[in-house]
Amino acid sequence: MKNSSRKIWEHPWRYTEGIIIAAWVILSGILLQVTNGNIKISYFGAPFNTLIGILFITALLFIHFTSRNRHVTRWLSGAYATIPAISALLLLIIIMGLVPQISVDTNSPKPTHPFTMVGWNQMTTSWPFILICFYNLLILGLTIMKRTTRKQSWRDIGFYLNHLGLFIALLGGILGSTDIERLTMNIREGETEWRGTNRKGIVKELPIAIQLDTFNIELYHPKLVIIDNKTGEMLPSNRPENYIFEEIGETVDIAGITLEITDYLPHAAIINNDISVNVIPMKMEGSTSALKVKVNKEESGDFVEGWVSNGSYLFPPLFVEIDQNKSVAMPVQEIKKYSSQITTYTAAGNRNKAVIEVNKPLRLNNWMIYQYSYDNSKGKDADISVFELVSDPYQKVVYTGFFLLIAGALFLFIVGPKKKTI
Amino acid sequence: MTWESLKFFAVGAVLLWSAGAVFAFKRNQKLWSALLTTMGLIVFFIFISGLWIALERPPLRTMGETRLWYSFFLPFAGLLTYLRWNYQWLLSFTTLLSSVFIMVNINNPDIHDKALMPALQSPWFAPHVIIYMFSYAILGAATLIAIYYLIKEKKIDNKVHLMEMTDSLVYAGIACITLGMLMGAIWAKAAWGHYWSWDPKETWAAATWIGYLIYIHYRLKNEASNRTSMIMLIVAFILLQICWYGVNYLPSAQQSVHTYSS
Repeated sequence: MKNSSRKIWEHPWRYTEGIIIAAWVILSGILLQVTNGNIKISYFGAPFNTLIGILFITALLFIHFTSRNRHVTRWLSGAYATIPAISALLLLIIIMGLVPQISVDTNSPKPTHPFTMVGWNQMTTSWPFILICFYNLLILGLTIMKRTTRKQSWRDIGFYLNHLGLFIALLGGILGSTDIERLTMNIREGETEWRGTNRKGIVKELPIAIQLDTFNIELYHPKLVIIDNKTGEMLPSNRPENYIFEEIGETVDIAGITLEITDYLPHAAIINNDISVNVIPMKMEGSTSALKVKVNKEESGDFVEGWVSNGSYLFPPLFVEIDQNKSVAMPVQEIKKYSSQITTYTAAGNRNKAVIEVNKPLRLNNWMIYQYSYDNSKGKDADISVFELVSDPYQKVVYTGFFLLIAGALFLFIVGPKKKTI
Repeated sequence: MTWESLKFFAVGAVLLWSAGAVFAFKRNQKLWSALLTTMGLIVFFIFISGLWIALERPPLRTMGETRLWYSFFLPFAGLLTYLRWNYQWLLSFTTLLSSVFIMVNINNPDIHDKALMPALQSPWFAPHVIIYMFSYAILGAATLIAIYYLIKEKKIDNKVHLMEMTDSLVYAGIACITLGMLMGAIWAKAAWGHYWSWDPKETWAAATWIGYLIYIHYRLKNEASNRTSMIMLIVAFILLQICWYGVNYLPSAQQSVHTYSS
């Protein structure tokens, strides 16, 4: 039942006041953004982020213990304040999902478009976004404190897990984001590197060194496609078909063409002279894969046979022309797996061997070392591995929040909603 | 097993689910209804397992493959909800929606091959996507109820009971998307060094999460309007659809690491 006799700003506050206050937070953010531009993350690195965190939590505790019985504080610790606040955050997130975002590291010119002036294309470092996040954290913190003041029930376990988990993860995530460092290292087989480059191109010397002993790469078997001779497009154009090689002797149908696989060379050299093209087995750096195919030409009863290859940095690709419109081609092979065998050295004198692959990083002192990519100019003979080193001091804080949230989610799933007593 | 076999298994499954849905309307035939629906689920799951074995990787990589799991989990969620809450029309709704997604799959076959890029070769891959598809099915069922409510509001006798069922579904659904999101974050840290990078998929996943959070908090107050709650569910489901496949079409999302490969 709506309390229609209550005037706005008369206690107890409800949704209307919540909407106005959330809007005011965003407007303040817009004002700050237009006058100051984007938030400069570098200003808030350690120890300032931890200081802000401590101050924020102290302020929350102060507000709770000194004014918990005041109308405004009670309102700020409940659903009426929460819903407009998270709706405001939702609105900014939806905008972030619709407006293409540019990286914080790009040196962008002074914004002149209304969207860029309010920071919509760099949402996560814009003042409105950060202020709304902190407004939500304020409500979240006060709500948690308020719950401690009433008689505790077992259901409150779920409440604390979810709300405290979110508080820790969100606050930790925001404050920690200023301290995250990412460096890339390109290392050639046999060489050692101790310097990393950050996103802005600045080189940093590290107290750790990595030696790339061997770089390994595995490819999936070669694929065959039918392409249009003029455009190079894979056919049929609305839904391109392909065939991954399995064994010699197979007959397959791609885009209406019947092919027989008559031979396969996993390591081949392509020798091109004026008279003919020869494909011979050759295990060497720069060798390529080649498949011999036989295509029956329906109309003429004739057939055409030849080698198809995707080439390499040494050899050109080979096609088998079926007719003036179509040819058989082999696209670049997809990567199955790549990994680096390394030796690590630390300033303290520790030396260890390890293997790094995608999804299996290595921790070394404060750094996590990831298999980021590799230099593919030599295709399957690549010998330059690219690593990313990430330092994230707040990771443990955020993970604490995550694990509380996981437990909270399980609680929600098992226990479900509270039945309403009418 | 190839994608071509889908239509045969689909026909079998949909017939069984439809029979299960019909029996739901008959008095005292709850057991038959449950049995027929379960048989349909088994038939469909045989197809999914067969495809998994044939592809030598979990069938979770392409858009069409995720639709497959959605078509499986929808009648599953519908069955569990029917058994718990006894709403007879629910199985018809979930069978219908599941069939729609099966039709989409039959008409838009993906290219399936065995290739799985290194980043996806992780034990997190299957649980992360599966729990999301399961939650999408639960929240899909909740949305069906919301639509049913908005259309038939005056004819519904026990609104409280229906709202309780909806709340249960949303709590279960949000629990699953939370777990899926956190699994994704922990996996991302192990794969790419960052648990959250506001990739468009992640942005819309956060939007979806908040959308359902708003529903849950709104429903805490006794004076919450049922109609408003149901409209919130529909809006949240739209956010979910944008997250699931809308991002493939949004201009802002073309560089996303999550764009389904075909």
